[in-house]
Amino acid sequence: MMALDLSQNKHSDVSMDEKDRLFDEVKSDERWEHVLYGCYECGICVAACPSARFYDFSPRLIAQAVAREDTDLIYTLMSDSIWDCSQCFSCDRCPRQNSPGQIITIMREVAVKNGLGTAKEALAGYGRIIYKIMLTGTQVSPDMLQPDAFPDWGTHVYEIADNLDDWRRALPPETLHTTETSWVIDDKTIIELYLIWHMTGVMDLIAGVDEGLYDIIVDVMEERLEEAGYDDVTFD
Amino acid sequence: MANENILIIGGGPTGLEAARGIADLGYKAILVEKREILGGTPEASGYAALTPDMRDAGEAMQEMRDAVENNPNVEIMLNTEVTGSTGSTGDFKVSANTGGKDITIEAGAVIIATGFTHFDPGRETQKYGYYEHDDVVTLVDAEKLLKSGNFVRPSTGEKPKRVAFIQCVGSRDRQIGNEYCSKVCCGISSKQAIEIREMLPDCKVFIFYIDMRMYGYWENEIYWPAQEKHKVNYIKGMATEIIKKGDTLIVKGEDTTMRRPMEVPMDMVILAVGMEPSAGTIAVADIFGVHKNKYKFIETIGGALNTVSTNVEGVMAAGACTGPSDLEDCISAAGAAAMKSIAAVRRVAVPA
Repeated sequence: MMALDLSQNKHSDVSMDEKDRLFDEVKSDERWEHVLYGCYECGICVAACPSARFYDFSPRLIAQAVAREDTDLIYTLMSDSIWDCSQCFSCDRCPRQNSPGQIITIMREVAVKNGLGTAKEALAGYGRIIYKIMLTGTQVSPDMLQPDAFPDWGTHVYEIADNLDDWRRALPPETLHTTETSWVIDDKTIIELYLIWHMTGVMDLIAGVDEGLYDIIVDVMEERLEEAGYDDVTFD
Repeated sequence: MANENILIIGGGPTGLEAARGIADLGYKAILVEKREILGGTPEASGYAALTPDMRDAGEAMQEMRDAVENNPNVEIMLNTEVTGSTGSTGDFKVSANTGGKDITIEAGAVIIATGFTHFDPGRETQKYGYYEHDDVVTLVDAEKLLKSGNFVRPSTGEKPKRVAFIQCVGSRDRQIGNEYCSKVCCGISSKQAIEIREMLPDCKVFIFYIDMRMYGYWENEIYWPAQEKHKVNYIKGMATEIIKKGDTLIVKGEDTTMRRPMEVPMDMVILAVGMEPSAGTIAVADIFGVHKNKYKFIETIGGALNTVSTNVEGVMAAGACTGPSDLEDCISAAGAAAMKSIAAVRRVAVPA
């Protein structure tokens, strides 16, 4: 387990103005007033948190940092700790009705929108999942597992990844779908999804964190949209 | 013939309420106060607003004074100090000095309501430098600044940008000998923090604490609003030292949540000094032979079921002379003492 380094001014290359601006963006989120009240350090969120058992991660620390409006510390957490959260929202049982998990959701969105370096790193492990879901509109499949990205799955994750196909055939599960063999989504649905992602800025977010992945997805999307008669829709 | 008058020693909130209660019940109260004004520590120390309801302290003390002044059942003796006592229930003869003149007061029972004094931060075991640094003040000093309506740094007369409270100064400290919690300081600091944030919206306010002790409604009336509405920063971890660097105070302590030592600059530091027995409490306890506990507060003997009786029959103690108390505690104990003191004289005057 890597120890979380919270030393002051750890990211001295980033100006305090920039750190303030990012936190202002977090606070301006319309969900903000319902996710943070005040924290009296009871530790229920940490007790309930599965990630806290595997990482040097504390939802209490996140709630405290944002309650204090300590923008230097918040930047440090946005650059590291927030990506250790499983987003399971077990912390929602907070007696003050804070939601560290939802605070993190907002912080992650701001990190992604602003292309923070750690957002790119953290999301690298999800490239295959994004690729699959964005193009097919459907499910996660077991062969999306990228063993290097998920240490909390244990050391045997490599063995599972290597032998996945054989082991699944031996079971066998109800379907044997993989990234290559998902069920078919009808044309109307997938075109609507592509349009929604285009119009809501989701594609811009992906461009900000993974340009290579963006290029691959956009190629496919543009082709399908053109076939469907949307020749005026372009990504750039 | 048993004397049915009740002597009350101390004209603070407890003594005033006891006198009012006794008068309301048709008995005579003799209220002695060593200062030249009634109102006790809230008056003498210039409290601004009461905790938790923020009521104007001067106005509240005036209301208490109004209930006993010009009350035919209350005899008020200011500038009066008790010097000795003989006798027992129904027949106390208490000697006193009033304005330089020795007198004897006859009473059937006695209520001691001699209160507390604020801890002197010169005795703290940390290195806060109250007597070295102008901008290190106590809750009492801060209360005066708030009352003046001009909350400024004593060193420069300028508005502070960063203010820190340090809790438990003189309380919960074995080195000092005060292991007890002073009970009110968490609430008072939080109340003052809110007042500072309202007066100076650009000023950041921090409270360094061990535990926040905000019992009952103080939690939702002061603590949560301080955090949620007024954005007061509560940092769990104590400061051990304050050093001066140029114009600024550096507070050294531990930020336990963030698992790191801290050295943070502040314009002002407010020490949340606790309660100790007043000199009057110690002296009067000795005059009446009333037991004191190891902290020299007066010991009451009835546990939770009787908060005012002492080892000496006919002598009650109420309020902050028995230990750290908030105003509500004092008023409640005053009522209990009024009732018990009347019951004591009636037992002698009207035997069962």
